[in-house]
Amino acid sequence: MAIVIQPYGPEHEPAVQEFNRRLQRSSDDPNLVFSKTAIPRWLPPAGNNPVWNEFFVALDGQAVRGAYGLKQEVVFIRGKGLHRVACYHHPLSEGIVDRSYASVGALLARDALARQPLLYALGMGGVERPLAKMLKALGFGLTRIPFYFRVVHPSTFLREMRALREERWRATLMNLAAATGTGWLAIKSVQGIASLRSRPADFVAEEVAEFSDWADGLWDQAKNGVSLAAVRDANTLRILYPPGVTSTRRLRISRNDVATAWAIIGERRKDEKFGKMRVGSIVDCWASKENMTSVVKAATQALEKDGVDLIVTNQSQHAWCSAFEKSGFLKGPSNFIFAASKKFTELLQPLEENRPSFHITRADGDGLPANF
Amino acid sequence: MTAALFEQIRAMASDLFGVPVEQITAASSPQTLENWDSIQHLNLVLAVEEKFGVQLSPEEIEEMKSVGETAKLVESKLQATPR
Repeated sequence: MAIVIQPYGPEHEPAVQEFNRRLQRSSDDPNLVFSKTAIPRWLPPAGNNPVWNEFFVALDGQAVRGAYGLKQEVVFIRGKGLHRVACYHHPLSEGIVDRSYASVGALLARDALARQPLLYALGMGGVERPLAKMLKALGFGLTRIPFYFRVVHPSTFLREMRALREERWRATLMNLAAATGTGWLAIKSVQGIASLRSRPADFVAEEVAEFSDWADGLWDQAKNGVSLAAVRDANTLRILYPPGVTSTRRLRISRNDVATAWAIIGERRKDEKFGKMRVGSIVDCWASKENMTSVVKAATQALEKDGVDLIVTNQSQHAWCSAFEKSGFLKGPSNFIFAASKKFTELLQPLEENRPSFHITRADGDGLPANF
Repeated sequence: MTAALFEQIRAMASDLFGVPVEQITAASSPQTLENWDSIQHLNLVLAVEEKFGVQLSPEEIEEMKSVGETAKLVESKLQATPR
């Protein structure tokens, strides 16, 4: 029977649960599950919201053999205005566990491209992972988004950072460094030297319950400094970070009572690779170039006050990267990949000139509910 | 299906799936070729489209269940396409 891809409706929910069970039976990856509900929990379509999520299922008769999500949103491209694009996320194919369905992955990706030629994907765990390879085959351009970190509690970091402790000799050295204090000294020195390069800023940071008109002003002021950014006006920000949601917090930074910037901070969910560490994240930030360092400082101070052991962030815009480096953040290996379809990439030309001022962070794509 | 066309598809499958051409038969499929996974299926689709100048629909992509069926599909597409 031919596979047909349709919007995911409530009538498909039992078949999706059966699909999830088949994937789980044949794999030890707990992430191989698709939404049990047809209506997305995160960003369900509502009224005239500019950003929303929608799901699609690949049907083989009554059985579901694949599924994917599209996060519909609007991006600003310098010189080319606003464009509706979509983030392709959570593609799952029965082909992962049954080769009879090897065609489903290609069908899903092509279906998404047919629905929205201006398509992108974000994250993916690295360029060697299956989704990134598939999108590359389809002509998507791949860009690695830099990763930065700042160690708040060096001894905890040295003991718990599992990704760095995989080799026994390295784990032993890290234990020794943690116990003797040499690791503390080394990490603090590197971060301290870097942060000395930046001057103290005369800003005020306050946590706000929601974004309002002041955020529109900041969006308008700073957007021409970027070549690509998902719209971050007050209306969109209120949808992404609704009042009452506490997993992420909104910081408003001002100088002389005038809003100059904002940041979104949060503590990441526990993750095996970080051991028992409390990991804070500067999820998103927005400011004109001259105010970037104050945002980094404000967000860092707020997370340090919360007691996190490590602060992480992903930033694509070179000006933000520079602000983080000046504030004592160190650059680490990144597996956070931005993949843009051919049509999307055409809009982003000249790519080499524009790429340094893409504004892409962990708040983009589908990362918010998965990580916070 | 013409022998020449089958040989072209066979050579394509050999390259994509990293298997000597003599081991590829009309019955070779994702079940018999270890490297024929979702990504390589997509690569096969793209390679067929590029080499033969055809556009494959979702139904046709799904019909490519073996090397032989892929060759048959390409043949029918080429016959249907005015040259």
